[in-house]
Amino acid sequence: MLKNREPYRDPIELLQGTLDLLVLQTLTWGPRHGYGITQAIRASSRDALQVDTGSLYPALHRLEREGAVASEWAVSENRQRVKVYRLTAAGRRRLVSERSRWERILEAMAGVLDATKAPATGEA
Amino acid sequence: MAPRLAWFGRRRRERELDEEIAAHLAMAEADRRAAGQTPSEAAAGARRDFGSEELVREATRAQWGLGGLERFLQDVRYGARLLRRSPAFSAVAILTLALGIGANTAILSVVEAILLKPLGYADPERLVVLLHRGYNPVAPANFFDWKAQTRSFESMGAAELWSANLTSGNDPEKLTGLRMTPEIFPMLGISPRLGRFFGASETRERVVLLSYGLWQRRFGGDPAILGRTLTLNGEPFTVIGVMPPDFVFPPFWASEAEMWTPLDLSAKTSNREGQSLRIFARRRRGVSLEAARRDVAVVTAALEREFPGTNRDVRVIALQEKVVGDVRLALLVLLGAVGLVLLIACANVANMLLARASARHREIALRAALGASRGRTIRQLLTESLLLGFAGGLAGAALGAAMLRLLVSAAPAWMPRISDARLDPSVLAATFLLALLCGAAFGLAPALQSSRLNLQPALKEGASTGTRLESARLRRLFVAAEVALAIVLLVGSGLMIRSFVALRAADPGFDPRGVLSLEVSVTGTAHAEPGRRAILYREILERFRTLPGVRSAGAINHIPIDGDIWGFPYLVEGRPLPRPGEAPTATYRAVLPGYFATMRLPILRGRDVAPTDTLGAPGVVLVNEFLARHTWPGEDPIGKRLSFDGPDDHPIWVTVIGVVRDAFRGEWGQAPEDEAYLSFLQRSQLLESTGPQAAYITYVVRTDGDPTALAPSLRSAVRSIDRTLPVSAIQSMTRVVDEATASSRFQAFLLAAFAASAALLAAVGIYGVMSYAVSQRTREIGVRLAVGADPGAIRRMVVGQGMTMAAAGAAAGLVSALALTRLMGTLLYGVRPGDPATYVAVTLALLGVALAASWLPALRASRVDPMRALRGE
Repeated sequence: MLKNREPYRDPIELLQGTLDLLVLQTLTWGPRHGYGITQAIRASSRDALQVDTGSLYPALHRLEREGAVASEWAVSENRQRVKVYRLTAAGRRRLVSERSRWERILEAMAGVLDATKAPATGEA
Repeated sequence: MAPRLAWFGRRRRERELDEEIAAHLAMAEADRRAAGQTPSEAAAGARRDFGSEELVREATRAQWGLGGLERFLQDVRYGARLLRRSPAFSAVAILTLALGIGANTAILSVVEAILLKPLGYADPERLVVLLHRGYNPVAPANFFDWKAQTRSFESMGAAELWSANLTSGNDPEKLTGLRMTPEIFPMLGISPRLGRFFGASETRERVVLLSYGLWQRRFGGDPAILGRTLTLNGEPFTVIGVMPPDFVFPPFWASEAEMWTPLDLSAKTSNREGQSLRIFARRRRGVSLEAARRDVAVVTAALEREFPGTNRDVRVIALQEKVVGDVRLALLVLLGAVGLVLLIACANVANMLLARASARHREIALRAALGASRGRTIRQLLTESLLLGFAGGLAGAALGAAMLRLLVSAAPAWMPRISDARLDPSVLAATFLLALLCGAAFGLAPALQSSRLNLQPALKEGASTGTRLESARLRRLFVAAEVALAIVLLVGSGLMIRSFVALRAADPGFDPRGVLSLEVSVTGTAHAEPGRRAILYREILERFRTLPGVRSAGAINHIPIDGDIWGFPYLVEGRPLPRPGEAPTATYRAVLPGYFATMRLPILRGRDVAPTDTLGAPGVVLVNEFLARHTWPGEDPIGKRLSFDGPDDHPIWVTVIGVVRDAFRGEWGQAPEDEAYLSFLQRSQLLESTGPQAAYITYVVRTDGDPTALAPSLRSAVRSIDRTLPVSAIQSMTRVVDEATASSRFQAFLLAAFAASAALLAAVGIYGVMSYAVSQRTREIGVRLAVGADPGAIRRMVVGQGMTMAAAGAAAGLVSALALTRLMGTLLYGVRPGDPATYVAVTLALLGVALAASWLPALRASRVDPMRALRGE
């Protein structure tokens, strides 16, 4: 599926704090293991978002410690023992609040970027 | 979720994380293969995508809510792994520390048991003793006056030596005890193990408290001992108490006391002559020692005006000072030595860590490149050295216990309380702490040095010359310091050994070899009767002389060195009467004929006392050279007269019939003082007084063989005359001499042990630094050899470097030793602190050791194979 393509040519650096949101969102589609999460994020962002494992696993373990996700060991389709994460009730609440925070950021960003002229601040 | 600190929980998490990462890689690989990559391409790609596994692990672990403890444990595990990986390094470092800690713990425990054993009294720092000139006993009337007139003490009591013959039961035995006023026990703040103390209303009662040891030894620890009646000096005493096992009183002077009975002074309230009391007092809270001294000075000054000659130079001394005062200097010297050895051990380990730290530059630079913070790196290195300190502490404790057992079992009889020596927990804790501190201290230097280094050059091959040079300098400095410390120790122990040899070689004036002494006491027996003693004493002497193996026999009141010393003021005929309290004092001896011949104490002029010098005959005396010389300089002392008895206006004169060579009186090596030998058979106070103070005699017997073999026949000879007579203190004079020089021997022995370990450690240090230097320079040496350098020149170069270090250290050490050994002045006998022979010998010995320690690496350097050295590193 990735043949002869240079997939990481221009990966977008994830904004601080957005990884949690992405992980939680990904898990709303069903329990997934770490590799599955990276693949899902990559696929759903059409290869634009590249999750660094050095950030993903710490984030997963932190979310688990904070109770937003829970994990269990399962066996994958090719009989690999894998650790599968799923969203908890607390995780869902967290997702809602993270998401609304993100939307506020987007709105604010859009406000700045879409403005056609400088706001009136008393300056000429 | 609660942080899980349990070991297994952690282990499982680690395993799970590993598995999680492995699964991730496996799935990524599988996807890549499915996309058509070759297996090796797929594996490499998956790995590349994943990034550094170690970093992922580290970052993920960091999310587990690691406490400081867990991070610490992680460092500990890493450190332990490193130590295991270089077993030779770890073994030498741990052994070095163990030697320092173990030796110190063992020896401190012994010092503690022998010298510092806590007195076990409540609030001991407020206890004081009051004595004339700091050591002479006090007359009863003075005691009463001081007690009534001083304001600084909440209580004051008096104690007097009491020797008592225990004649109930099978074996008559002479015991040492104390008569005390009732204030003393409560003053000490202790309580009896069994029974009670005597009260103020019981001063005339015949009641006695026993020591735990006596209770066990004589009465098998009989719990029904209370209320039992013992016959002491022929009189019935009721046992009212037993003291606890560790109770010692008094802690100086008669410390072998095993019984305590009331002291009745009611008949002596105005006696200012009989100085027999030691005064003990407890300062009031808030009254300083100085204030108490001023108080006593005022009171005694007034009394001295009222009763001239009775209250001069009364000193108030803290009890602890009195007990430890004499040995404090020796103790400080030993403690100094202990500290030096530990310092050397620490310097050695620091050195090794420094050497290793510079070898580990690249590893540390790598850690830093991988994102380890500077603090983290320092913490890691510190943990490693603390781990070493801890391991060294553990090994040191084990070694210390073994060495202590060895010391105790090897200790000759002259170390009385060494069998009580236990590995002292506080000493152990202190040395352990010290080891950890050492760890921290020596861990810090390399850690700082390592973490300061610049990453770029360190990562490049063979660079970092600057830091390497700096650390090499530091290590040489450490080694030079070790050599300096070792020199100080060697000089100190050399001086002590020479002093001990001089002390042993000192001539006591008599010949102790082949002489056995034993004491016979008549107190409480039928022979205590006035008139019977003179006959008994002569009869025993005659009986001894007939025994097989006995060459000669004699007797004296107190033998030199071991015996009591009585100072008697005396008058010289034809001289003006001295002012009260200012008469010269001579050591009072009373002898039976044959004493001088038996001791081989030469009579230089005149004759020995004769069997005819009895109570009816004119009084005679022999004096020592010292007394003769300063009393009658340039005159013949024979025929001159002295007086030891009678009122000043009617003295009882004794005529000098002989001059005896000066002999050691009390302490071994002491300068001579006045000594007078009167005829025992003319001393009515020794022959007729019924007090236990005077009702005994000490026989000396010379034999050609082993004197101790005579003991049974001498004992049975006494028994055959009267089986109720207690025979005690049977000992050879050589043993007495051994005991007298024991403390000097002990100090010399301990200092020598310290100095030997110091020299050994310094040698290890030199060897370590030079071998490391050689291994670091293998390549350079190989080049030199390849271009034709002479192996001898290489050897000289390495040895030269080692010796430069050693010489610099030795110079510094000699200067410090000159300064420090001045403090030992009063410990030394017959050798000056600046004794050149000692300094020269020590310097040569240590330089020899240094030469040997740098010769081995030099030899290795000269045998470097140029080809191999050049080819690879």
